[in-house]
Amino acid sequence: MDDDQTQDEPRPPVMITCVVDCVGALATGSLHGNLHLFDTNGRRGSVGLGTEQLHTRVDEGDELLWTVMSMECEAHVAIDDVIVDPSVCVPEKHLFPHTGVPYWRATVLRPIDGLIPYQLSLGVGTRTVPMTTETSSPALAGGGAQ
Amino acid sequence: MTQQAGIVVLIDVDAAVESKTLLGNTYLVDNTGVPGCQEEGTEALVTDMQSSHWIDGSQADEQILNWLLYALGSLPPTLPRNYRSDQVRRHERVGHNDATQPEPGHDESAGQGARVRRRGSGVPGRALLDVHGRVLPETADGSHLAHSRPAPVLVDITGEAVDLKIIYPALYGSPDRSTEGWYWSATVDTSRPGTYAYTMTVELRELMHIDGGWHWMPHRMTFDAAIRITSKPCLNGFTGAGIGVLPLPVVESPPEPFPEIVAEPFAEPLVEPLPVL
Repeated sequence: MDDDQTQDEPRPPVMITCVVDCVGALATGSLHGNLHLFDTNGRRGSVGLGTEQLHTRVDEGDELLWTVMSMECEAHVAIDDVIVDPSVCVPEKHLFPHTGVPYWRATVLRPIDGLIPYQLSLGVGTRTVPMTTETSSPALAGGGAQ
Repeated sequence: MTQQAGIVVLIDVDAAVESKTLLGNTYLVDNTGVPGCQEEGTEALVTDMQSSHWIDGSQADEQILNWLLYALGSLPPTLPRNYRSDQVRRHERVGHNDATQPEPGHDESAGQGARVRRRGSGVPGRALLDVHGRVLPETADGSHLAHSRPAPVLVDITGEAVDLKIIYPALYGSPDRSTEGWYWSATVDTSRPGTYAYTMTVELRELMHIDGGWHWMPHRMTFDAAIRITSKPCLNGFTGAGIGVLPLPVVESPPEPFPEIVAEPFAEPLVEPLPVL
């Protein structure tokens, strides 16, 4: 599927899933090596799935959704913030209807040339201070960035 | 018992169905990554199973291995277990997705709870939610691109590790919300170190609109993974040393003795003696 086709066809939301090894993160005090990121845009050119350096391929107008899950179902993890250049997108916290389960949502506001790094801030376990990814971790990738 | 090992399997269902293979569309991660496993986050995961032998080499304990399968592009498993059917019932009762709008047919004079049941599919199991948790219309339109992908179904685990009786996999029922009530687990014989392959048979479901209705088209595929059993001795998780009693924390200097408490004498009671009658 080439870019011309994807521009014309309606596109589903791009879902970015964060999988956290909470025990590992709490034991090491870091998300490094304990965070795995995935998205649904692999066919359109996302790279780094399964790693912390996920580069999600996006276009202007794409809807982005971030959700998180723990490897151990007993452990708590939640997205505390998604920090990204506000000229690209402004993620906001939402709740699934009739629940207290949150997700983060944003719309890509402009075309992206290259990579736009962003940070994920996650609340893990009973820590009062969220853990944040490195500055060079995940990114939104425009056409030609791969 | 050491910490149970968990393997999370995430599958890009749309890509797998389109390419008719799980290769390149399946991602495995496990929680044994702290000591180091191989190819984490890829489809070639080798799960490291260790710390189940005594220092003399004898087997100390069996290990437990769990598999949890999820689809990329689905509602998160942290939602309540009956969320989909609850949402569909709520939608059929109210008639729309916006909980802030008044319900059609609601008669204030008839008292709270008087509602007109709207016509819907009538079968919540057939209704679809999108990735926002909203009920999708029954007619085919572009909104169905955003439908929540159903979780892959693990049908069977076979292969070398099973044939050699290294793992004993089985499907178990569970009250846990994140497993939809079912999960695959295996007891691992850790007395035979080595790397053993196994094959997982998975059923994916593709949403198709056929003869005016929505249907799930099943696709059955397989992929391979492996476990590596090591003969490393058991370690104390707190100290990183061998098994034994937990050491007392090292104290650089002896603590200062508590200051001597000198009890003050009780004051004389300010009570006048009773008069003698």
